[in-house]
Amino acid sequence: MCFKNLPVEFDAQGVAHLKGGVVDPYAYRPREIKRDKLEELLARNGHIKDVSISPVTRVAGALSFHAVADLQERRFLEANSVATIFRGYEVILKGRDPRDAIYISSRACGVCGGVHSTAACEAIEMAFGISPPPLGTVLRNIALALDFLYDHPLHLFLLAGPDYSQVVVEATSPAMWEKAQVTEAPHADVHQFKTIGDIMKGLNPLSGKLYLDGLKMTRTPREAYSVLFGKYPHPQTVVPGGMSSTVTITDFNETYTRLQKMIDWTKRMILLWDDLTEFFYEYNPEYKKVGARAKNMIDLGMWDDPDSYDATYARCNEWGEARWATPGVVIDGNLVTTKLQQINLGLEEFVEHSYYENWNQNGNVRFKADPSGAPLSPNHPWNKETMPKPSKESWKDRYTWSTAPRWDRQVVEAGAYARIWTTAAAGLMPKNDFLESTGHSLKIHMPKTMLPSMDFEWKIPEVWNAFERNRARAYCMGYNLMVAYTMVLKAFDYLRKGEDRVSTQFEVPKGERIGVGFWGAGRGYLSHHLTLDNGAITNYQIVTPSTFNASPKDPFGNPGPYEESVLNTPILEDYSRPEDFTGVDMLRAIRSFDPCMPCTTHIYGGEREIVREVNTCACSAEG
Amino acid sequence: MVLVSGIGYSNLRDMSFGRVLLSTLEQMDWPEHVHVEDLNYGPIMIYQSLEASAVKYDRAVFVSAAKRGREPGTLHIYRWHGELPRDSEIQARIEEAITGVIDLDNLLIVCKHFGVLPEDVTIVEVEPQSEEWGSEFSPVVADRVDEAIQAVRQRALDQ
Repeated sequence: MCFKNLPVEFDAQGVAHLKGGVVDPYAYRPREIKRDKLEELLARNGHIKDVSISPVTRVAGALSFHAVADLQERRFLEANSVATIFRGYEVILKGRDPRDAIYISSRACGVCGGVHSTAACEAIEMAFGISPPPLGTVLRNIALALDFLYDHPLHLFLLAGPDYSQVVVEATSPAMWEKAQVTEAPHADVHQFKTIGDIMKGLNPLSGKLYLDGLKMTRTPREAYSVLFGKYPHPQTVVPGGMSSTVTITDFNETYTRLQKMIDWTKRMILLWDDLTEFFYEYNPEYKKVGARAKNMIDLGMWDDPDSYDATYARCNEWGEARWATPGVVIDGNLVTTKLQQINLGLEEFVEHSYYENWNQNGNVRFKADPSGAPLSPNHPWNKETMPKPSKESWKDRYTWSTAPRWDRQVVEAGAYARIWTTAAAGLMPKNDFLESTGHSLKIHMPKTMLPSMDFEWKIPEVWNAFERNRARAYCMGYNLMVAYTMVLKAFDYLRKGEDRVSTQFEVPKGERIGVGFWGAGRGYLSHHLTLDNGAITNYQIVTPSTFNASPKDPFGNPGPYEESVLNTPILEDYSRPEDFTGVDMLRAIRSFDPCMPCTTHIYGGEREIVREVNTCACSAEG
Repeated sequence: MVLVSGIGYSNLRDMSFGRVLLSTLEQMDWPEHVHVEDLNYGPIMIYQSLEASAVKYDRAVFVSAAKRGREPGTLHIYRWHGELPRDSEIQARIEEAITGVIDLDNLLIVCKHFGVLPEDVTIVEVEPQSEEWGSEFSPVVADRVDEAIQAVRQRALDQ
């Protein structure tokens, strides 16, 4: 039984049905947000401070964040995550040829457009009843591993990394900086940074070696991506039933060479993030609480097994569990399911605190069951309709363009770390020479290049916080790299056997069809739910990782993951006067989720004085 | 060697000025020392491509739309001073650029910071009136198209 809150149970054969005797099984009564006491405290108390991180956005999604901090008790009393832009891809896609979704939804992200293209293709393949030949699947897998090899260094060294740099640490915790300079880095022999202080210097923006090398290393995977798919980040070569790239053994050789180039650097970076994390924990164990929240996460898995994936909903549990990243939901640290159908049934979106109309007002539910006959909530994406309702920002009422997706009415977060967690816990990784899922860890064997071969093991952490998100992301670089490496070797095998087809013929069906793309972005969970009729899209719903992570409170009163993590974050930075408060601990918490597109934001005090510039974003405004 | 490009997103009416003019410029005949290139991708990738390229440019001419508070339709042709903003602003531009934002200022600041821009950079820039979704220029901007093309051509071919 994977559901605790939804009115769904399973019989001995695993067939889902609604619990008997419940009149209105999915009904709920929204809980009111009360903040009278907080408003009173804000009005009278000098050390209770309103903190806003407000964006100046250029394009795409934008996140701003509001919090109330108690600077005397050094904790946060309220947190509100705000996606400030409505982009309306779902509205744009209605009525169009389903193939348009591949190219239009790609524009949802300037870093990983290909993940949207692929999710759209998988949704279309399910609706059309087609699937790619094995080499087509392998090509997609390589593309989406390369994509993340661009994404993760970008986050670790350019976006989150500066939070741990000398310039930030020295300014916000001078004693820690003193200690860092005389603390030897345990893995200095591999990564070549003698002390933790040297690592922090390396993370200095613009001048640090790690910052600059991180920037440089984004080029290599992007080159390989372009060799195979024509261009980055919006490939025109992802098509229903496979890929339209013409690939030869030379292209795979060129990809292989570039992957080789990344191996040693990745070995160093994993150990470097280990050293940095352990230093913070040792310096002050309270850092384990920065960004902490319940060990609740969700992932749809990705990187299909070329011999298992057939794009059918009926077999989604089988091909899902055969993926190179295992789908799963973790609740309180326990893996409660690895079945795509159960993950799908548990998904609901709520809009009580978002700028949308509730689409259920007339009580008409389009799909009461999924294609296998299992019960579906009226709040499920297949039943959802995007109905924008701009209104005044109110912390008690509506305050964001992000919806609140929940699984089994519980708050779950998405991320690369959720992907490695569910894969490690499930023990279902296909047998191969480089990666092994043990049930409690993921072992990564990285071959010899200039450095000797090395074995790494990402263990499911005892604590869950900002540092573990970043550490897991560093290990994910090794994980992604070895998935790409293995897939290139598989491609050679297919070519050797003469299996060089990368796409399948198809026709756009005329009747009513339904499909879903269960996939993953660099930042985790990605689903595209689609319905078609007469060859045109009748509904299209996208749920991104940042829709989960940046979500507002749900109708049950639970804060979204960013909000919860900030509420659990102690204020550890040094300050003697309120005006010296920078909010770095809160920002470390938020950034550890890898919010998607960058927006320049300014954190300001009550007098709207700019204290510090930050960069963050939300990919969550796909509403 | 001279590098010519038009910068901007597609389908954003006047804000697509550079991108649309690039298509016209690409179809023109140019002497061998003038390269018309599509630079409408992330400026980090542009800097990395220019850095790796065997061709080193002496001059660049970029055409684009930019909101600077002037009268809509104003065509401003100027030599870019090449002064960089403070470090935090450069950092912000890099972060925007690496996540895919295509923008003239980002391109200039990022490429200058990493030392891949030629000393001689001319900007042909129009003040937009309309920047919503769509493929047509507003009339005041449409009126400037020929003049802008002439200006780019002249600056690129000047000896």
